[in-house]
Amino acid sequence: MKKFVNEPANFVPEFMKGVLLANPGLLEFVPEFQLIKRTDRPAENKVSVVQGSGSGHEPAHIMAVGPGMLSAACQGPVFAAPPVDACYETIKSVATDAGVLVLVNNYQGDRMAWDMACEMAEAEGIKVKQFIINDDVSVEDSLYTVGRRGVAGNFFVIKACGAAAEAGADLDTVLAVAEKVNANVRTMGVALTSCIPPAKGTAIFEIGDDEMEVGIGIHGEPGRRRDKIKNADAITDELFDAVAQDLPYKSGDRVALMINGLGGTPISELYVLYARAHERAEQAGLTVVRNYVGEYCTSLEMAGASLTLLKLDGQLEEYLDAPAEVAVRIF
Amino acid sequence: MTEITIEQVEKAIDVASDTVIRNEIYFSDLDGLAGDGDFGTSLATGFKVIKADLPTLDKSAIGAMLLKISMLCSKHVGGSSGPIWGTGFMKAGMASKDKTSVSLEELAAMVNAAVEGIMARGGAKLGDKTLLDALIPIAEKMKELAPAGDAAAVLKAVTEVADKAIDETRNLVAHRGRASQVGERSANTPDPGIVGVATILYDWCKHYGVDYTPTAAELNR
Repeated sequence: MKKFVNEPANFVPEFMKGVLLANPGLLEFVPEFQLIKRTDRPAENKVSVVQGSGSGHEPAHIMAVGPGMLSAACQGPVFAAPPVDACYETIKSVATDAGVLVLVNNYQGDRMAWDMACEMAEAEGIKVKQFIINDDVSVEDSLYTVGRRGVAGNFFVIKACGAAAEAGADLDTVLAVAEKVNANVRTMGVALTSCIPPAKGTAIFEIGDDEMEVGIGIHGEPGRRRDKIKNADAITDELFDAVAQDLPYKSGDRVALMINGLGGTPISELYVLYARAHERAEQAGLTVVRNYVGEYCTSLEMAGASLTLLKLDGQLEEYLDAPAEVAVRIF
Repeated sequence: MTEITIEQVEKAIDVASDTVIRNEIYFSDLDGLAGDGDFGTSLATGFKVIKADLPTLDKSAIGAMLLKISMLCSKHVGGSSGPIWGTGFMKAGMASKDKTSVSLEELAAMVNAAVEGIMARGGAKLGDKTLLDALIPIAEKMKELAPAGDAAAVLKAVTEVADKAIDETRNLVAHRGRASQVGERSANTPDPGIVGVATILYDWCKHYGVDYTPTAAELNR
C-alpha cells in the first residue's frame, strides 16, 4: 500500500481536520462524532439537510456541506456506517423548528443507523424526516443493500434539496424535491481497478489488468458482469444505454448529464467519456441543459467512472442553477 | 407472583456481557464463515463498555437503565449490530417505563417490544436467517409461559427455543444482513446472531442453576 497516511486509524479525522482548516469560518468540526456542520446552521425557519455514511466517497459527504448544499454531515470509518449516536448528534446539531431532512443512501448499515437516530431525535421533539436514495441501475440487491444502491445521483438530491431549503421551503416540500430528483435520476458505473482502504491495507477485490467490472458498486460490490476492457466509447455506450433505457429518458427530455470519476481516473479520461456521452444524449434527442464532469462520489483510488442522467423540469433546473458553496473548490 | 428487580436485570446484563466478551473470537469466526467476520468484535467492543459502565448507570428505573445501555450500544457497537442491539434495549426500556421491578408477563412484553423494534429496524422477518429466527419464537414462548409465573421454567423453555433455532436455520440461505451477500455459501453455517442469543441464554441457565442440556454443537463446545 502506498498512500499519504499517518496512522491508518486516524485517516478519517485527519482529512476532516484538513477540510476544516481549508474552510475557516464556513465550517465547524466536532471530532467526537466525526461531524462537520455549517457555522451558520441551524438558521431559524430554515429546513436543515443532513447526511452521513462511510468514508472513502469524498467529496461525499462532509465535503458537500456548505451554503445551498448540506447543513451538516458525519463520516463513519472507510466504507462503514457512522454509529447511531453520531447520526443523532448530526441531526441535533442543526435542528430547527422547520425540521431536518436526512438523505440516506440505500445501504443497510446507513439505513438502520439513521432510522434509529431519527427515532431518538423524534423522541426529543425534533421534527425530522428521512429519504432513501437509490439511483444505481446496475443490480437489485447487493452486498450491503436490499434494492438498488445509492451512488452519484446523491449529488443531485443534495443540490436540489439544499437549494430548496435555502430558499425557505418547508420540510414536506424539501422532501418532495428529494422524491422528485430520486425518481428522475439514474446512474451506472464501471471499475478498471480495485481500491485499498487504509486500515485494511490490501485491495478489496481482485481484478485483472485487462478486465473491467461493469456496474461496480462504490464499495467494490460486484456489478452486472466482469469483462475484458473495451475502448472508451464502447464502455460509455454500455453505461449510457443501461441508464437511458432504465427510466426511460425520452426524446425531448431536458437533462443534466454527469460523468463522475471514482477516484483514480484522470479528469482528461473523464472528458473522453463525456464527449461520447454528450453525443449519445443528443442523438437520443435529449437536451443536455447542465453537465457535471469530475469527482462527486468516489471509491478511494479506484480507477473508473459512472454516468448519471437526471431528467429536469423548471423547478429542478432552478434548483441546480441556484448558488452553492462546498469545501472542495478550484477558485 | 415472580417479580424481577432492577438489580436482577442488571446482574443478567452483566452475565450476558461476560458471555459476549468471552466469545468475541468464536462469534467472529462463525461470522467469517458467511459474513465479514466482525460480529464478535463489534458486539464485544460494546459490551466491554456496558460491563464497565453498568455499576454507575442511572438505576432510577429499569427503563432508564436500559435506555442508557441502548445509547452505549449506539455509540460503541459497530456495524449493523449497533442499531439492532441498541433498538432492542431501547424498545425494552420504553416498554418497562419507570418500573423498578417487573412481573414475568411484563418482562415478556418488554422482550416482545424489543423483537418488534428489531424487525421494524432491519426489515427482516422469520426465516431470513438472522437473530430474529431465535428472538421471534422466544417472544412467543415467553408470552405463553409467563402467566404461570415460573421464571426458571421460562428460561429453560426459551433456551431450548434458541438452541433449536440454531439447527433449524443452519441450512437456510441468508436473505438479510451481511451473510446474504454470499447466498448459497451461507447454507450449512449457523447464523452467529442466533448462536449469540442461544449462548447468552444457556449461560444464564448455568448462572441461575437451571438444568438444561443443549443439542446444537455450538452450545456443546
